[in-house]
Amino acid sequence: MWGGLWLAVAVYTLFGIVPMIGNIVISFTDYTELQGAAVHNVGFTNYAQMFSTQAPGLEQGLVATAVFVVAVTLGQNILALLFAHKLAGSSRLAAVGRLLVFLPIALGVTIVGLLWSLIFNPASGPMASFFGLFGIHSAFFGADNWAMTLVILVQIWMNTGFSTLVFIGGLRSIDPALYEAAAVDGVGGWQRLRRITYPLLAPSITVNVMLALVGSFTMYNLIYVLTAGKYGTQTLGMLSFNVAFGSFEADLGYGAAVSVLLFVLTLVVALPMLLALRRRERKLLT
Amino acid sequence: MIRLARPRLLSNIAVGVLIVLLFLLPVLYVLMMAFETPAHFLNSPMTPGTPTVSNFGQAWSSANLGGELVNTVIFSVVSGALSVAFGLLIAFPVARRLLRGHSMIYTYLFIGMFLPMSIIPMYAEARMLGLWDNAVGYILIHIAMPGLPGMALAVVLLTASISSVPLELDEAAWMEGSSYLAYLWRVIVPISRPALLIGFLYAMLNDWNDIIGPVVLLNNPALATVTKGINSFAGDNSSQYTLIAAAVVIASLPVVILFIACQRQINEASLAGSLKG
Repeated sequence: MWGGLWLAVAVYTLFGIVPMIGNIVISFTDYTELQGAAVHNVGFTNYAQMFSTQAPGLEQGLVATAVFVVAVTLGQNILALLFAHKLAGSSRLAAVGRLLVFLPIALGVTIVGLLWSLIFNPASGPMASFFGLFGIHSAFFGADNWAMTLVILVQIWMNTGFSTLVFIGGLRSIDPALYEAAAVDGVGGWQRLRRITYPLLAPSITVNVMLALVGSFTMYNLIYVLTAGKYGTQTLGMLSFNVAFGSFEADLGYGAAVSVLLFVLTLVVALPMLLALRRRERKLLT
Repeated sequence: MIRLARPRLLSNIAVGVLIVLLFLLPVLYVLMMAFETPAHFLNSPMTPGTPTVSNFGQAWSSANLGGELVNTVIFSVVSGALSVAFGLLIAFPVARRLLRGHSMIYTYLFIGMFLPMSIIPMYAEARMLGLWDNAVGYILIHIAMPGLPGMALAVVLLTASISSVPLELDEAAWMEGSSYLAYLWRVIVPISRPALLIGFLYAMLNDWNDIIGPVVLLNNPALATVTKGINSFAGDNSSQYTLIAAAVVIASLPVVILFIACQRQINEASLAGSLKG
């Protein structure tokens, strides 16, 4: 009777859990894309190489990841909070607004990446014209001083809709009676926001900060479409992909070691963050 | 009250304008681009010229978008459907606590929602199992791939949904002697339709939009998905902006149609706040 259950669990284990363990195993080998070549256990060689000064990209990868994570997590949540506040209503206009901010997620990274590459194309277009007015000419996604900022903005643009939906769910679960009581007591505006909305939104803030944090740490598919990691946008996730598949060396062992480092860093930042947010929730809600 | 209402109206208008500027205008602009002649676009990018459909014809004939769209539909619909089907097979016994260790199974699946994308071991596994550059393998891998947790999310959504189905229905079916799978199909599937639909849409859209998977796991051009296809098409024709715009419009049309058709579900999902942790 439970054959289907165990089959489903087996598929999930094989393609969901085994790869996570496999990643660690591969990071201790010299596995390459070259098929038929012997794979050796090389111990900590990949890790030693990663932290040696000859290894290009690691230091820059760490900096790029930190900038990307902080800017995206903050930007995405602040913008989503603003949108959710205005779009939580039941009016027709609010429903249209919700669909509009959610549209980029449906379009997906490839369409979104190409869309913004077209709008920021250096030869002709709205952004070239706009910045041309100020005498600024740039290759935008192909310029060292622009690419990272633009990649961050597109990532925020893409994922704000999802965070907005989560915040709207949180706003709607606040008991309207609380606002009525506040109105009776003559509490309005800023005070109402600070004393009622903000504390009761704490669980949604936890979910959204964690999703944005973990997402911006590990996702690199948008960067792949926009710049492929060039012009100072090579975060650790992008670096791992590039050393494994983007070059002729095709060093999968080293790429896996970089991604193990990335996952450890993500855990080291995300776990204390989660605990702190939970503690904050308890404090605000009691 | 009047003193309060005016700044609020102003801020509503400001946010409304911001949303239109940020989310509607860029999409409309690229749509306009797709109808421009290259010469007109380069000379006056801000004003629409005489619309032409020649970009669409050229993009369609030179980029194999038709074949790639067919591949994408098959891959994402089949793996999306398998994700929710497997999800249902796990969710029912877990929700009904029919097994020892049901909460352990649930936790085991729940972890899957947070596994970070890691493509290197997927590549190694696909190579080892003979699933690399293989349509069946590609679909199987996408049922549970870390970072695109279709099946894990289906289990979470369906467990919640089935828990609210009254136990009396199970007992009635038991008395009638209905088989387990027939019962799932005839009773649980219709009742859990909203959860099944959201789970399916989420899994399908994830697979549809995946770009790293097709680049690493597929090699044969005949198996390419539309994401991989337009990305390399844009790379090969990097200065033919109007042509790329037309390809982007063609490639996004199916998703936009699906999006409009499912707008009620998207709005309902936001209202339910179903993702609250």
